[in-house]
Amino acid sequence: MTKVKIATAWLDACAGCHMSLLDIDEAIIDIAKAVEFTRCPITDIKEFPEVDVGLLTGALGNVEHEEEAKELREKCKILIVLGDCACFGGPPSMRNAFSKEEVLRRVYIETESTKDGKIPSSPELPALLEKALPVNAEVKVDCFVPGCPPRAEAIKYALTELLQGRIPVLPSEMMRFD
Amino acid sequence: MSERKEITLNINGEKVKGKEGDTVLDICRANNIYVPTLCYLEGLSNVGACRLCVVDIEGERRPNPACTYPARDGLVVRTNTEQLEKYRKQILELIFTERNHFCFFCAASGDCELQSLAYRYQMDHPRYPYTFPSLATDTLNDFLVIDHNRCILCGRCVRVCNEVVGNHTLDFGRRGWRTTVIADFNQALGESSCISCGACLQACPTGAIFSKVSAYRGRVDECQGIQSVCSLCSVGCGIHVLVKDNNIVRIDGANLTGPKGPLCNRGRFLQVYKTASRITTPLIIDKAGIAQTASWEEAIDSVATAIKDYRRRYKTSSIAGLISSICPNETVETFARFMHDTVGTSSLDIVDGNAYRTLAQGIKASGKSSLKLETESPLEAILGASCVLVVGADPLESHPVAACYMLRARTWNRAQLVVIDSQDNCLGSRADLWLQPNVGGMDAVIRALVGLVANKNERSDQPHKATSVTGAAQTSGLSAALIAQTADMINGAGQVVVVFGDGILDRRDPGLVTSVLELASLANTDGPKWISLKPRGNSRGAWEAGVTSGDGIANAKPRLVYLLLADDEYIAEDCMALAEQAEFLVVQASYASPLTRAADVVLPSPVWAERAGTYISLDGKAGRSQRVLEPPPGLKDDLEIIAELAQRLEKRRRMP
Repeated sequence: MTKVKIATAWLDACAGCHMSLLDIDEAIIDIAKAVEFTRCPITDIKEFPEVDVGLLTGALGNVEHEEEAKELREKCKILIVLGDCACFGGPPSMRNAFSKEEVLRRVYIETESTKDGKIPSSPELPALLEKALPVNAEVKVDCFVPGCPPRAEAIKYALTELLQGRIPVLPSEMMRFD
Repeated sequence: MSERKEITLNINGEKVKGKEGDTVLDICRANNIYVPTLCYLEGLSNVGACRLCVVDIEGERRPNPACTYPARDGLVVRTNTEQLEKYRKQILELIFTERNHFCFFCAASGDCELQSLAYRYQMDHPRYPYTFPSLATDTLNDFLVIDHNRCILCGRCVRVCNEVVGNHTLDFGRRGWRTTVIADFNQALGESSCISCGACLQACPTGAIFSKVSAYRGRVDECQGIQSVCSLCSVGCGIHVLVKDNNIVRIDGANLTGPKGPLCNRGRFLQVYKTASRITTPLIIDKAGIAQTASWEEAIDSVATAIKDYRRRYKTSSIAGLISSICPNETVETFARFMHDTVGTSSLDIVDGNAYRTLAQGIKASGKSSLKLETESPLEAILGASCVLVVGADPLESHPVAACYMLRARTWNRAQLVVIDSQDNCLGSRADLWLQPNVGGMDAVIRALVGLVANKNERSDQPHKATSVTGAAQTSGLSAALIAQTADMINGAGQVVVVFGDGILDRRDPGLVTSVLELASLANTDGPKWISLKPRGNSRGAWEAGVTSGDGIANAKPRLVYLLLADDEYIAEDCMALAEQAEFLVVQASYASPLTRAADVVLPSPVWAERAGTYISLDGKAGRSQRVLEPPPGLKDDLEIIAELAQRLEKRRRMP
């Protein structure tokens, strides 16, 4: 049996969703047997290969996030997003009530613990987007698993459905926004 | 009211019955047909704001909200077509993208009606772009926070504030998609006319209005819910207490949209965060005057020894019992029986005994046999009144939910509100007429009104000792025109309910009570309508128990006083004076106070949440309070303490 190829990336997020991916108890054994993780934060592979399933966590907060989301969308057959940030914007989008300039000034200059702060301007750093947005604001998403982080049973359900060849839609009792 | 005609509808292919005057939603609910709602709240007016309850009605071009659609015989309704369900999900997506609904740190997450509908409709992402509006959070109120980011403009808070509380602080401001809920003229809630009753909080379906004292302390499904009765004042509101890990998480009105539903800030909030210092062990004052922690046995022994000692050295009348009417009937009765039968004294009173005697003597002096405590009007009478006359009372401060009856009568019945009070009065600025006579001028004003109302009605069967209006004006410092205007208002009204409180009851002037009652009699053709705002949670129960002796106990100058204060935090001057003149003072109380500091023996007492019992509300309705918390370890129930004392006193001394 050929393994299903998966690539994952975390965008504007806290890592909690990727942690939760590993936190699905014994189900991970069966899933690991059936899938091959290509690029993901654990393998540290830099390029996205062509994959069956692309998995994103996090919102789109800067141009790099935007680029990665677009690239993975092109390289994968099915794109699944995990967590409130990717589904709704989540915590990163709480900055949207302010302008990008206000946010940068507050964080790098005005915080109480900062002395002689400076807004980073290196060309190597990806530029912040005006607003942090959910992934489907830029690319087509096939499956959404909300939660902060999503519950293990929801992740388990979504991955198992995918491996069975179905596009999962979370049943009501597995839906959580917190 | 005539019986409403029965009608038959066809809902989802089933024949269901309802009554004429019902809405389609009423009939769906009565027949267990699920229709989702957000802006609907039973007991409030229906506004059709959220459109979640849209249903297809045969003959209508488009879906209609079930909550505002009047049902009629033969109506054919569909509530669950695929198209309707799609619309509902779409509405949820629009609501979620309209403002900033961040569930992950919301205090209401898990208890939120919007969130649970989103789960039901499997809304795993909204298909619309977010607007991310920049909205304020109003945190200036002591108890409530309004977070406009989470508001869905259902208007339940606005309606409950207007229709149930009657205060109408909240309303909508601005127009279209800029609409927000505002307080008064867009003031911060903490700087507005808000009385912090928290009814809006209980009505809010999301986390837009949340409580500073309850947020993040537990979700409803983690708590045990217990129905009880609030004993903080004599209105006797039904409460629903949510308890988690022996802590009160939240107190809700048992029936939010009912008359006693809104609760007040004390009943809803102050009990949750109680900061007063509790007494948790018995204390005995040693010879040096220092309070020493004692065992129950030592403390009870010390009280029993003192009682025996005073009984032997003096008459039993040197011993007096005083109990707070915050205690339930069972405690009052047991205490009275103990003092009477076991101690053998008839020197017994309640802390608000003077108020009771003033009222009783005032009633007696009126000479009317129809006037007695039992013929006092129920609070509901206020709702039917065309004029409410508040005399010597500040109900918004002392009995806030009773004040809500008045505010509601104003809103719904266009009742006129007259306040006559010498003190500052919170209700005054909300009244149609506010008379502030000089202290001491109250009598003259009431008597002048009695004269004016009697003359106009020519209903009086006896000559009046009425004060002339000019005389009253002079004594009270009010204008004669204002007094005359007040009389006109009373004369012009059909149903006048007179409400009086501590400003009359604490004056120890039964004549004043008689005048007020006479005014209440003259103002109505069908008998007097009056309500006395009694000072404590179970005042009426304690008053009716007949445990007070003669003129109270102060004149007897008791040498030993046993004061059962329980969790009463109000200490009247006469009570303090009595305690100070006592040679031996036993105080059974929940909280440290000047009284416990003056005591020779202090016995810890449970608070309302830790005891059960029956209370009689100011208008005679019995309510049962439940024990919602386990008392701190080592605490005994009041009844248990009295029983142990009795046992100790009755036990014959045996030789070792």
